[in-house]
Amino acid sequence: MIETLLAALVSGLVLGSLYALMASGLSVVWTTLGVFNFAHGALMMVGAFVAWTVSEAAGLGLLTGIAAGTLVAALLGVLIERLLVRPFYGHRSMLLITVMTTLAAMIILEKGAQIIWGARLKQLPRLIDGEVSILGATISAHEAVLVGLAPLILFAIWRFTLKTRTGRSLRAVGQNQNSAALIGIDVPVAFAIAFGLSAALAGLTGALLGSIRFITPVMGAEPLVKAMIVVIFGGLGSLGATAGAAYLIGLIEALLIVWLGLYWTPFVLFLMMIIVLVFRPNGIFGGKE
Amino acid sequence: MDNLLTVSGVTAGYGPITVLRGLSLHLGAGECIGLFGPNGHGKTTLLQTISGLIRPTSGSIEFDGRELTRLRPPHIVEAGLVQSPQGNTLFGDMRVQETLELAAFSKHARDDRQSNLEKVFALFPRLEERRPQKARTLSGGERQMLSIGCALMCAPRLLMLDEPTLGLSPRLKEELAQAVGSIAKEGIPLIVVEQDVEFLMALADRLYLIEHGEVVREIDRANAPDHDEVMRLYFGEAAG
Ligand SMILES: Nc1ncnc2c1ncn2[C@@H]1O[C@H](COP(=O)(O)OP(=O)(O)O)[C@@H](O)[C@H]1O
Ligand SMILES: [Mg+2]
Repeated sequence: MIETLLAALVSGLVLGSLYALMASGLSVVWTTLGVFNFAHGALMMVGAFVAWTVSEAAGLGLLTGIAAGTLVAALLGVLIERLLVRPFYGHRSMLLITVMTTLAAMIILEKGAQIIWGARLKQLPRLIDGEVSILGATISAHEAVLVGLAPLILFAIWRFTLKTRTGRSLRAVGQNQNSAALIGIDVPVAFAIAFGLSAALAGLTGALLGSIRFITPVMGAEPLVKAMIVVIFGGLGSLGATAGAAYLIGLIEALLIVWLGLYWTPFVLFLMMIIVLVFRPNGIFGGKE
Repeated sequence: MDNLLTVSGVTAGYGPITVLRGLSLHLGAGECIGLFGPNGHGKTTLLQTISGLIRPTSGSIEFDGRELTRLRPPHIVEAGLVQSPQGNTLFGDMRVQETLELAAFSKHARDDRQSNLEKVFALFPRLEERRPQKARTLSGGERQMLSIGCALMCAPRLLMLDEPTLGLSPRLKEELAQAVGSIAKEGIPLIVVEQDVEFLMALADRLYLIEHGEVVREIDRANAPDHDEVMRLYFGEAAG
């Protein structure tokens, strides 16, 4: 019993790390532009495929692959902002329009990946071979890297938005665009940085996940849905709340899988999400507006 | 012409609504001018157009011999043309210190960040006390101080203040009026929008009365109106 619980705890930690990386990317875009990027999962998938192409097909090594995946995803993110989000800025129904345009971007990226990389399942080698035992439960060393890296990356983003000039400028743009422009901040540049950073996070996550799961054109869909549940729980406004919710959801999911099995787990997660939406529309950790 | 700012025949507005109708004015080097007039007649729209937030449909704006008309806001701030906008709410979740540090954003403002910060705190000691506080929790007067402080952090070569005493108590109004006066004494050229014409006349070299998006009267020391005439300008002939 205790062993099963500890195993669930550790696998919850792995899931939580994945969701925290995904959701924090969504949060960066949301707090700067007020846009929900539905292509976020697809950008993650592109990161994984590009990493595979560079690392395996071209044989340039896994680290080069991960870097390339991160970079290409970032560039695609900037492109999506430029072509599919910025034209609708200031429009009355901007939020709704960008839901549609980013959904379109998701479909284009997924179909594009299918055309470029085909249907055959792909996988990346692991960063480190071997296994690690945490609290008596065993996970692969690669998963352990993910678990260790996630809080470091979250901490770095947090410091970036709090302490650096560029990070602060993103927050300023998110809170008051005109005031930001009037102190000399280039608002469109801030948008591009937010989208690029968020997409880079997605690409990196995908490249890391590509060693754990199979790389397919739709591999980003499930993490995106989970990240959406996370942001509904945690609210999108604060990175801390988003990260906290990510680990909580990861843990709950792992426990539910143990108790209810894979089949019923998504159902219960969505039920919880609906209950939260009804009673705490700003999220469990989110303040009242 | 060695004007610092020349606005000629500017027409601008919001979509189909035209607010400014061929407005022209100028500011000489080292000068301080005031804008006044009834509410809703385009003073704020003019400052927003000068700052690049609104694109004029015709006319031109020249600053220090350079055409600004099509530039975007960050480049205009970079050139040293800065404003503290009307009724500013700034960045609610940012702290006073952070906000002021961030406001030295453009390249030319960065080098003087520390000395400008000291100047702002000397001008508004209350901001220094409120350094760790979030802008959202400041009083109206303190927010106005922060807004002017931000503009000063941008190292302005021309500073535009849009109703810096709007909605403040008489005591705070006096405090801010004095601060604006000492900014003018520092030698920073100013464009000040105010309802209080007496305050403007004490501060500025010239005033423009703006109505229906046009300059309808220019006032300098030679043709300064007396109190009754000011009332007439504001409220029409009936008041006189
Ligand atoms: N965002 C806006 N959209 C449409 N009309 C506006 C907007 N802001 C101001 N106006 C209109 O422009 C006119 C001039 O406003 P404004 O420049 O704020 O005047 P003032 O600063 O002289 O009080 C007013 O009629 C006002 O209703
Ligand atoms: Mg106004």
